[in-house]
Amino acid sequence: MPVYERGYTHWEPSGLQARPSWWVIARRGIAEPLKRRWLLFLLMLSWFPAIGKGVVIYLKLKAGDVVDLLGGSWTSIDPEGFLAFIEWQRFFVFVFLAIVGSGLIATDRRDNGLSLYFSRPLGLKSYVGGKALIVMFYFCTVTLFPIWALCLFAYLIAPDAVGLELLLVTPLRATLYCVLAGGSMSLVLLAFSSLGKRSIFVMVWWTVMVMGTEVIGNISGGLGKEFLEAANFLGNYHNMGSLIFSAPARIGVSGWVSALIVLAWTAAALFVLRRQIRPVEVVS
Amino acid sequence: MGLLGPNGSGKTTLLRCLLGQVPLERSKVSVLGFDMARQARLARSGLGWMPERGGIIPGMSGVGLVAYLGELSGMPARDAMQRAHEVLHFVGLSDERYRKCDEYSQGMKQRLKLAQALVHDPQWVFLDEPTSGLDPRGRVSILALIRDLAWNKGLGVILSTHLLSDVEAVCQEILVLKEGRLLARETVDAGGREPRQVFEVEGFGEDEAFLAGLKNLGAEVTVDKRLLLVTLDLSRLVTPASGTEEGFPSAAGVEAILRVAAEHGHSLRRVRRRPVTLAEEFYRLVEA
Repeated sequence: MPVYERGYTHWEPSGLQARPSWWVIARRGIAEPLKRRWLLFLLMLSWFPAIGKGVVIYLKLKAGDVVDLLGGSWTSIDPEGFLAFIEWQRFFVFVFLAIVGSGLIATDRRDNGLSLYFSRPLGLKSYVGGKALIVMFYFCTVTLFPIWALCLFAYLIAPDAVGLELLLVTPLRATLYCVLAGGSMSLVLLAFSSLGKRSIFVMVWWTVMVMGTEVIGNISGGLGKEFLEAANFLGNYHNMGSLIFSAPARIGVSGWVSALIVLAWTAAALFVLRRQIRPVEVVS
Repeated sequence: MGLLGPNGSGKTTLLRCLLGQVPLERSKVSVLGFDMARQARLARSGLGWMPERGGIIPGMSGVGLVAYLGELSGMPARDAMQRAHEVLHFVGLSDERYRKCDEYSQGMKQRLKLAQALVHDPQWVFLDEPTSGLDPRGRVSILALIRDLAWNKGLGVILSTHLLSDVEAVCQEILVLKEGRLLARETVDAGGREPRQVFEVEGFGEDEAFLAGLKNLGAEVTVDKRLLLVTLDLSRLVTPASGTEEGFPSAAGVEAILRVAAEHGHSLRRVRRRPVTLAEEFYRLVEA
């Protein structure tokens, strides 16, 4: 019977498999920003450094000595070089996370969306997990996916010259780093988002925190107080990456200290999310 | 079922308790056979919720929003999309379903919220102030939809409102709340079964003996223009045959008044029970 001839009818399940709610949230959250053209343009722009790195890899594999003259870790195609690439991408990480992640919970809080979500068979883990996946996807789009592509590119142009390290180990290192750092950063950003009701304010807080701590860290390093560099929010993630990529420390503290700081940030974010994400107040 | 009460009486909180959204420390809530402290997610598959405030996700089209929430309710994507079209048609939003819901008028938003509450075909729907912010025509039309769901489609409806007329239009049973406490549980026409009923008597003249006879029955008598209002406590006259379900038949009161009139040789033009409006009953309960 055509839909326009019917009143209210009961649902007859088709027997198809329903998707988990975290997947439904993540899929929609990932697709929604891609409808904005300027964001797609920015996404394309974020791959320019990867293209540059691809050119470097090509030259290195075809005429290594020429590129070696340029020097710098960014031109190397060892793990150190890929960590340098991730550091180079920090601007895009910061921008994409701010644009995509800042409103994820704040908007739901503003529009009473939490009440709507939690009137469904949906738990806190699925809700936060789905939202965190959205942020992680964009984090990986500017860090992990280019590295995978670059490693594959290197293997394709010079399969004999590229060892197991570049084909397998480096992508695995990058994946581990992106899962840990991306997951933690996603939770921290979501915690910020859960504290506000307007994405613009969350964006401002995020900017102040990322930029502010970087400035503090750099000034401290300049003054010779290297242990204060641990205040650098993104610096700690990269420093933790130095453990994973077997690279020298990025700031004045060891990679393990940074890993602990990242763990503390993550724990604090989970605590905030648990407190903030409630459809209503507690009644006794 | 209607939840009635002044602002701040706990209507919305009660609905949220039923949805398992409010962690309770000293109470236990069971809905559809599920303990809401431990199995709220299972129960919510059978519940629909239409919040008073907000309740839309900006940036999405009407059909996108309803299908999205259908999927979150555990429906396969294709089913959810098909159902979204059906329920949007049912609530009268077929033509606007592809528009962004931020651009909807207040009436359309209320209909959209009703549609998202129905998309997964719940057994019960909880509606929090569904007519809030609607013009009279919009109000009548959304109440007709809700009444259709409750009376013809077999859905359980709990309607929370402070508008008595909304409850009268839709509900059979009412819970009256005040300051978080249940004041009364009534049926909409409870007045006809209450022990204390008011009767209108026409053609009583100025017969003092008749009035005295009524007072001897324990009646409160007041004169309202050409009407005599007789408030009788029927529990003093009859015993309900089968407990409170049957209540006190108003015929017993009419009969008692006619008997007094006959004893005094007085003829009356008309005696009938004065219908008690929901508003009177509500204000009596709340003010008490």
